Amino acid sequence: MSWTYLCDASEVAPNTLKLVDAKGVRIIVANYGSGFRAMPPICPHMEEPLDESGVIANCVLTCTKHLWAWNLATLEMDGAETEKPLKTYDLKEEDGRLLALVDQELTYDFDEEDDDDDDFFGKG
Amino acid sequence: MPARNHKQWMAAPNLKDGEWIDSRVYTDQAIFDEELEKIFKSAWIPVCHESELPKAYDFRTTSIANEPVIVCRGPDNEVRAFLNVCPHRGMLIERRPSGSFYEGQPSGNPKRMTCMFHAWQFDMKGNCVYISREKEGYQDRLPKENVGLRRLRCEVKFGGFVWVNLNDNPVDLEEWAGKPFECLRKTLDAEPMEVFHYHKAIVNTNYKLWHDTNCEFYHDFMHYHNRVTGFNDAYFARKNESFEHGHIVVGTFEVNYDQYEGFESRAGLSFPHLPPNQWYMIDLFPGMNFNLRGSALRCDVVTPLGPDKVMIEFRGLGLKRDTPEERQTRINHHNSIWGPFGRNLHEDLIGVQGQGTTMRPGSESRRVLHGRQENQTIHDENGMRHYYAEWGKWMNRLPSDPEAPFTEPAAVAAE
Repeated sequence: MSWTYLCDASEVAPNTLKLVDAKGVRIIVANYGSGFRAMPPICPHMEEPLDESGVIANCVLTCTKHLWAWNLATLEMDGAETEKPLKTYDLKEEDGRLLALVDQELTYDFDEEDDDDDDFFGKG
Repeated sequence: MPARNHKQWMAAPNLKDGEWIDSRVYTDQAIFDEELEKIFKSAWIPVCHESELPKAYDFRTTSIANEPVIVCRGPDNEVRAFLNVCPHRGMLIERRPSGSFYEGQPSGNPKRMTCMFHAWQFDMKGNCVYISREKEGYQDRLPKENVGLRRLRCEVKFGGFVWVNLNDNPVDLEEWAGKPFECLRKTLDAEPMEVFHYHKAIVNTNYKLWHDTNCEFYHDFMHYHNRVTGFNDAYFARKNESFEHGHIVVGTFEVNYDQYEGFESRAGLSFPHLPPNQWYMIDLFPGMNFNLRGSALRCDVVTPLGPDKVMIEFRGLGLKRDTPEERQTRINHHNSIWGPFGRNLHEDLIGVQGQGTTMRPGSESRRVLHGRQENQTIHDENGMRHYYAEWGKWMNRLPSDPEAPFTEPAAVAAE
């Protein structure tokens, strides 16, 4: 367990996201106006890169690909489409520097569905 | 024989049934449409080679009988084939000829194929994994489980080629082509191969005229290179052997490449388990060709585009383990004969394009002769007789009189 430097708070403007490399772990930093969050860099729905498709407005992060959304202040799921919560790293700000507690890389499960059976082409 | 008037020109030749066919099989739009339906929608087509999809999420698109097809390699390393058609509104899902789904696209996500029209998404097994605003639009009436892709029969076989069949219940692939491949099975399956050359030609001719050319070597009179490196007793002894399902194999002999200035023996890079400078040819119904000249394998696949238009895809293959120097030598061997600027390929294309010019929709029907009988050796035309007997069976048409139902021709029955 160690606090890892991400970037300076001044590098992430309000309502923007910044992709950083934290000692080999890719992390996205979000500034939602009244605070910061540090997260895996992809949407838990379909691995969409959030630095490309994520937008923040009124504290809500929305992945514009398929409209999954989360309130970054409360981390509650937002909107009708969202089916999975965001994972986040513990974050603190010291002297204008953003640090995250990176024990191991946070990931989501994207399991594919079961494989086809042997009788695939015989099914009715 | 003096020149002939129209009546004489139209008279049936003095050959046995099966030794000539009516050129309408090359020119008639209705026959062409029927061929796609009856033959190409049930035949095994080698759409590409596994080395063209080396990594998980790699894909290639193609078409069979006007149906768009996509093949992709899943994260489980399996190669699967699907219709490249969205189950929603029939949009073509993937427009690129080849690529990878590993990285996302502007309208898609990593590791899924996405229909850019309304953002429906599918995994590498053809499962529908996302319908945009599903609950709002379909409530619970159309679950994702009911709108998967149309999966197609697909097998990797005979040297790593990817075979696809649009028919869910076709003849088993081993039964289809196992026997003609027997002569090269050990060689092609000895170790992984790799495609090093790809080009395609769209030629104004019927696809069968192209396949005819691959099925007979009598046209070596057109190939100066083949005459000087080949015309000898061993060449004329090469067998032209027929196999069930309309396939042909031309047996091997040793080619004397050093008889042609600028060429060299290919012995140093022979494919596994082969003596030096051998030359095998496997022709599969309805239009595929596997041609091994010692150090390089060529594969032609036809995609018929119309009675007088065909796309031919040409692939050249070497061994995956080639050093850069070996690979370059194989490429030189391949391209110097079979490349777009090679010694022989353009001559073949001129031949079939000339036929295409005399036989196009609207041309008066005429007789095309397949009557050479040479004890089923290399200049015998038994390969074409065998092919058209198979064609007649699939089509239930008599090649010499396409409006009549098929009966086994006397010339072929005798063989």
